[in-house]
Amino acid sequence: MSRGRPLRLAWTEHEGRTCLRVRGWTADELRECTGLAQLVPRLVVLPSALTKAGLDLRALQPVAGRFALDGDALCFLPRFPFLDGTSYSLLLFPAPGDGRGDPETWTIQRPARTGSPEASVVAIYPTADALPVNQLKLYVHFSRPMSEGWAARAVHVLRADTHEPLGDVFLRMEPELWDADRTRLTLLLDPGRIKRGLVPNQEAGYPLTEGVPVVVTIAASFRDAAGRPLRTGAARRYQVGPALRARLDPARWRLHEPAIGAIDPLTVEFDRTLDHALLQHALWVHDEAGAPLAGHGAAGPGERSWRFQPQSPWKQGRHSVIMDPRLEDLAGNSLMRVFDRDLMRAEDAPADARHVAIDFTLHACHSTQKSATFDA
Amino acid sequence: MSVAVGTDKHGVKVGTPDVKSVGSLAFGPEGILFVADNAGAQIFAIDVRDAGAAGASRPVNVDKLDTRLAAFLGCSREDVFIRDMAVHPSSENVYLAVMRGSGAAAVPVLVKLGTDGSLSEVPLEHVPFSQTAIENAPAEDDARVEVRLVQGTREGEERQMRSGGTIRIARDTLRTVTVTDMAYVDGVLLVAGASNEEFSSTLRRIPFPFTGTALTNSLEIFHVSHGKYETASPIRTFVPYGGNTSILASYTCTPVVQFSLKDVKSKTHLTGRTVAELGSGNTPLDMVSFKRGGQEYLLVSNARHPLMRLACQDLERQEPLTQPHEPEGAPRQTLPHKGVGRMANLNGSYVLMMQLDDAGNVDLRSYSTATL
Repeated sequence: MSRGRPLRLAWTEHEGRTCLRVRGWTADELRECTGLAQLVPRLVVLPSALTKAGLDLRALQPVAGRFALDGDALCFLPRFPFLDGTSYSLLLFPAPGDGRGDPETWTIQRPARTGSPEASVVAIYPTADALPVNQLKLYVHFSRPMSEGWAARAVHVLRADTHEPLGDVFLRMEPELWDADRTRLTLLLDPGRIKRGLVPNQEAGYPLTEGVPVVVTIAASFRDAAGRPLRTGAARRYQVGPALRARLDPARWRLHEPAIGAIDPLTVEFDRTLDHALLQHALWVHDEAGAPLAGHGAAGPGERSWRFQPQSPWKQGRHSVIMDPRLEDLAGNSLMRVFDRDLMRAEDAPADARHVAIDFTLHACHSTQKSATFDA
Repeated sequence: MSVAVGTDKHGVKVGTPDVKSVGSLAFGPEGILFVADNAGAQIFAIDVRDAGAAGASRPVNVDKLDTRLAAFLGCSREDVFIRDMAVHPSSENVYLAVMRGSGAAAVPVLVKLGTDGSLSEVPLEHVPFSQTAIENAPAEDDARVEVRLVQGTREGEERQMRSGGTIRIARDTLRTVTVTDMAYVDGVLLVAGASNEEFSSTLRRIPFPFTGTALTNSLEIFHVSHGKYETASPIRTFVPYGGNTSILASYTCTPVVQFSLKDVKSKTHLTGRTVAELGSGNTPLDMVSFKRGGQEYLLVSNARHPLMRLACQDLERQEPLTQPHEPEGAPRQTLPHKGVGRMANLNGSYVLMMQLDDAGNVDLRSYSTATL
């Protein structure tokens, strides 16, 4: 309580930072040596909510910062910036000798952030219609940098028929898996439930159920980096198919080759849907001399293909599509390994490939795909 | 940009590290504090110059640590994110990695908790430090370089080709590694991390003093579940034990796996021994080792299961698991300590535990190793 003392609190800028300006002191209090030196040790600033936390306010270490005299005002400069929307209290404890009464308290609130929502969900990957029951990852792309800490609260998987939420689908990651720009969130489905033989798989089964379509929802409450919600929520529906458990096999891919002299794209068609994020940089094209061709590669519809648009017309001769062995399908199978390898299946033995080259030769009148080679 | 001048021991130079976030912590030689910065994709080695008198191994107990941090940092309790905890080996001060606020307003802070319970900020300006990148930066001659060819001159850098032509390339920054745990062992910082793209289990070995990425090498770690399936998975938390001869790693998918550090040093692909499984719906949170009566024990804190104690000698004796039934595996004792998250060894005499109480408060408690 402020016991009638007419102190006035206001926000002001000092050295480029927001500080708390306190006016209404008596001339005695402001007088150097006789007043201020005794006053400052009795003053503390605390977030208002914490003054009711049940802790001894005298013993609680207050907000880090310092007081400075500015004319007839005393300014508190916090070490860490005041947070928008948060209420702060100035506490003045009784002078020594005045007993251990409650401090006088004044409160002021930082203005809440204003502004309408600006961020939205740009895409949810995969964009394929169907997921394998052992689906491992989802990616959510946002239009603006986002805040961490919302994935578990705002992303859900529902049964498409009953809209009943499925429990414990995602692995709780702390910290969450974001890209450097904080615009792409990677969500892992609980790998313990996906991997055969592990206790979570035995006890709880797969997070998804074959034949039961699901909807992945992103709630509008997901906060962007400025603390604002999304413009609107987002959702994507998937069928759920059988488990996918085999190494990637580039020999089963089809190349749609361009004509010499044209700057048509080269398209590589896969036998299954591959991981969207890895497709952005796991494939590229070399010329006969082993130099990468300038151009742009991108995932095709439903991540079932990859399209390479060269900058210059195609030339005659041997070319290679080079593949990073870390490229994975939706269930985490890569060229090197099956996600959870059955040790009894010799065909699933891990390969130690460094990268794979799918060679193709462009001839004057026709072209042929040659082979896939594993460079150890 | 980080700025550093002058040279000091351990390859650190006085300057101001550009710390964008604080995550995992680990102490190295002579009070060097390793700080994982996942947002900045760096690991900093900071000489915290905390040469205070050797602690007397007194217990540290702080009620409502999160509330006290919120008061000190000037925010609500909900805006305090305690990312990790480490104990300075000689001063016994407790170091906390704290993110204050979130999104664009997030401020990374290293807080020192004195043995008397006082809070202070660990300065990050004009301090001796060095740093190393944690993004999966490829070697210059690696055919798998994660670069993309770009058009125009707005981004990227020009490279001369062997054929004489030039291309313009940009490094792809989408793929990042998020550090989940770190430990310093015999001149090497071991770093466990999760990729935001491929699903792999990689333990990075970074020699310290940092010498650049050339000497950094990675260990692909596999584990066999029940003699039947071999899998890889990001390591969630790990702890060296047995005089740094072994590590026990706990995965996102719950197996607890033992590796010999002798093997860790010499190999690039390693299959560990699954010695326990922690059960479904659970995530291991932290591990710590301590000794009592000449025996070494490990504590594992869990998101859903109680705190567990494993005896190292049982781990050594444990045959690899072959049946997926609980409670097979190394014998474990359930301890009554509730809501345990981060843990740290307080110079052998106590184990510090961060505990979440029923009302949602975070308390820091010291437990004598004699009672654990």
